[in-house]
Amino acid sequence: MLDPYILQQLAIGLSLGMIYALMAIGFTLIFGVLNVVNFAHGEVYTIGAFAGLMAISAFGPPLLVVLFIALAAGALAGFGLERLAFRPFRRFSDEASLKSRAMREATLMSSLAMSIIAREAMEMIFGSQFQTVDLAYLINKPIHIGPITIVNGDLIILGVTLVMLGGLQWLLKKSPIGLSIRAVSNNALGAKYCGINTDRTIIITFVIGSAMGALAGILVGLYYGAIFPSMGFTPGIKAFVAMVMGGLSSVPGAVISAIILGLSESLSTSFMPSVWSDMVAYAFLLLTLIFFPQGLFGARRERV
Amino acid sequence: MKLTRRTALLLAAATALTPVAAFAQDSVKLGYQLPLTGNTAQYGQDFKDAAEIALTKFNASGALPVPVEIIYEDSRSDAKEGVTIARKFVDDKEIVGVLGDFTSTVSMAAAQVYKKAGMVQLSQTASHPDFAKISKWQFRNITTQDQEGAVNAQWMMDKGIKKVAVIAEQTDWGQSVAKGFVEPFEAAGGEVVYTEFFNRGLADFRSIITKLEDQAPDAVYTGFFYEDGAQFLKQMAQLDAAIPVYSTSAAYNDQLIELAGDAAEGLLLTATFLPTRMDANVQEFVTEWDKTHDHAPGQFPAQAYDAVNIMLAAVVKAYPDLTRDSLRDAVAATTDFPGVTGNTTFDENGEPLKELTKASVVGGMFVEVE
Repeated sequence: MLDPYILQQLAIGLSLGMIYALMAIGFTLIFGVLNVVNFAHGEVYTIGAFAGLMAISAFGPPLLVVLFIALAAGALAGFGLERLAFRPFRRFSDEASLKSRAMREATLMSSLAMSIIAREAMEMIFGSQFQTVDLAYLINKPIHIGPITIVNGDLIILGVTLVMLGGLQWLLKKSPIGLSIRAVSNNALGAKYCGINTDRTIIITFVIGSAMGALAGILVGLYYGAIFPSMGFTPGIKAFVAMVMGGLSSVPGAVISAIILGLSESLSTSFMPSVWSDMVAYAFLLLTLIFFPQGLFGARRERV
Repeated sequence: MKLTRRTALLLAAATALTPVAAFAQDSVKLGYQLPLTGNTAQYGQDFKDAAEIALTKFNASGALPVPVEIIYEDSRSDAKEGVTIARKFVDDKEIVGVLGDFTSTVSMAAAQVYKKAGMVQLSQTASHPDFAKISKWQFRNITTQDQEGAVNAQWMMDKGIKKVAVIAEQTDWGQSVAKGFVEPFEAAGGEVVYTEFFNRGLADFRSIITKLEDQAPDAVYTGFFYEDGAQFLKQMAQLDAAIPVYSTSAAYNDQLIELAGDAAEGLLLTATFLPTRMDANVQEFVTEWDKTHDHAPGQFPAQAYDAVNIMLAAVVKAYPDLTRDSLRDAVAATTDFPGVTGNTTFDENGEPLKELTKASVVGGMFVEVE
């Protein structure tokens, strides 16, 4: 098993997995609170990448500043998205509307609409081609470890994922905001009756989740040097699959599933044509839904 | 007569056009169908600009006693629109020949009309293998992958490369890249150790590159456009895969170098046009082009420039007995036409036999390899 070929493929799979995990964290957090998929998450990811790119071409700040600009852009995008696509469907506060699945699931469509508008707008402004990125900002400098090669971006992405995961766990478990997020995610109506400001909690969740999505966007954009308006689509699908595999509302479950997904994809290239490697994700999705409808790690866990 | 706005406009147009029409009574008319709006408009606009450069030069040269006119129609890269335009051109008895369209799909749809009516159609870019085979009326001014593959195979053979991996995108075009190379290469005694197709827009090539390195080929032959090309080359550099990469004219784009930076250094490819080539006609075209554009012309406008010139040369040859039939025969008889994309001769199917230029990326620029 210590064949350098396998080791290299494992390293690539791990880095792919971390990239999917990066996106899956914010995605899962928002799902956990609202119980609906936010289809515009992929566009928030793209907005983060474009915000970072514009900062780079405007005044060439250090990488850390670029990341914070992307975070801020993501937070703003998350706030706007909640306002435009989700808030209007919560304007009735009677019990029937609050319990209505139809009201909640209408946001599937409104978030999809927002995502289409955002993507088309970016295509009109920037064109659909790859944007030129200052090559000095790319985080793809090779690092050799024995027989395998990784890049500095892998370490940065690993670090950011761990910080996000740790920070989020701390936030959810130890802070008052986290407490209200957990309460809303568990039972929004109950939380409301207990005096928790559910609207504010939902906005905060969107801001945090979208900031994380935007950070993922700029990091992956600089990792591959590929920033373009439809860049959020494929990672969005992978993050969705990871979320379903992880049990829909568990952030750590989604991260572990994302890594499993990345490893499987990179190893699959060894056994079958690369055009089929996208099928791996869909196969996992199907198998999970058939055999583990509660996710790979079971359902007896706290939400979020 | 009630003077509506439309009649007023018509009258105005008629007055404005009368002197021109009187002057151009004996002008030769050609049609050009190309996308001027829609999402391939940037290509069509370039074709039109290149065609105008060629036409202005031709009319100024006095090679014909009458001027030549080109009528442009916007096909929006839509096959239905292409057919409508073709009918319009065919019905206009003054039009003797047609250029275009841009994509193979639209060109082939329109070709059915031209085939039936008997009008010569010369496309600058339709590269589908079946296009030129539709009838004796279809010609194209772009090389097919069979030609590029054969030149690349010979190029590698000359360098003593025997083991090659082939990577191409999973499309009809990508398949034709692989097939066009593998057949002549194996016939010449080479060995293809690994073939892989990828989905266009694949973000991560590293698994493929690792697998490719494992097969230890002497070179990689690739079929990709510049965006995928830039990703592939960057990740090759990232993984320190020191294997020479050969590619086709589809990767020939300055954007490739801009996106891949140093990783593009040493890329080898075949192309039909290099704006840096010092030949007089190339420099003449590039100078004219630069007057109205802030970037050097790519391969596509150069193809259009040559297509128009080939058509004009055929008009001169057929004149004064200029009919749709005589023009077709004159186009078919084109031999060694000295264009900016190399010398062109049409074979019996209307395929151009061109000499391809070999180029390489050196110091952040495409330069010709002697």
